[in-house]
Amino acid sequence: MTNKYLITGPVTREVLNDLMGSFGEDLSAGGHSLFIGQVRADSTGGRRVSAIEYSAYENMVNKEADKIIEGIYSSFNDVRSVKIIHSTGVVRAGEISLFVLVSAGHRRQAIEACETIVEQIKERLPVWKQEIFEDSTREWKSNNFA
Amino acid sequence: MEITVLFFGILAEVTKTGFRHYSNVRSFEDLKLKIQDEFPETVHYNYRIAVNKELIDSDPLIKDGDEIALLPPFAGG
Repeated sequence: MTNKYLITGPVTREVLNDLMGSFGEDLSAGGHSLFIGQVRADSTGGRRVSAIEYSAYENMVNKEADKIIEGIYSSFNDVRSVKIIHSTGVVRAGEISLFVLVSAGHRRQAIEACETIVEQIKERLPVWKQEIFEDSTREWKSNNFA
Repeated sequence: MEITVLFFGILAEVTKTGFRHYSNVRSFEDLKLKIQDEFPETVHYNYRIAVNKELIDSDPLIKDGDEIALLPPFAGG
C-alpha cells in the first residue's frame, strides 16, 4: 500500500478479509455500515467496459480523506471508526475499487455516516478514471455534480 | 520565483507530462499564460486549481516553491 487510503489494483478478497478483521475489536460499537464499490461493465455505443484505470493526486488524497473523516467525527458523535480504501491503477469489471467501513455505537449514524463518506469521496477526492473497453479503446469519465 | 505545476487525468494525457517546473513566474496570471503558451490544448478543458494540495476558488497569490495542480473533474468511487 503506497498511501493510507490508496491501494494499487483492486481491493482483493485478501485485503477485504484484513479490513473486516477489525470487527469486534471495539466493544462499544453496536453497528457497522459497509459500502463496496465495484467496477461495472457499462455499455456505450456498442462498446462494453472491461476495466477502469484510476489515477490519483496521492498526497492530496491523503489530505482530503483526512478532512472527510475529521468532518464525519464532528458531525456524527456516535461514530467510532472509519476506514476508506480506494484503488489506483487497473481494476477489471466485477472487481472492487472502493471500500468504506464505518463503525458506530448505533446503526443510524453508522448508515448515515457511511453514505455521507461515499458521496464526499466522489465529490472531493482527487481521483480520475479512464474506462477501458473490450476493444481496447479508452474514455475519461467524471462524476456528475450538476 | 519557481513553481511546480502538476497535471492530472485528461490533462496529463493531453500535455503528455505529469509535471513542469516554471521559473521567473511573476504571478498566477503569468503562470497561466506560460502554461497556455506551452500547452495550448489545456484551454479546451475544465479544471480546478489546488495550491499545495488545497483547492482554491479564485486566482491565488503564489510564492516561490508552491505546487500548483490542475485538476480535471473528479471521478473517484
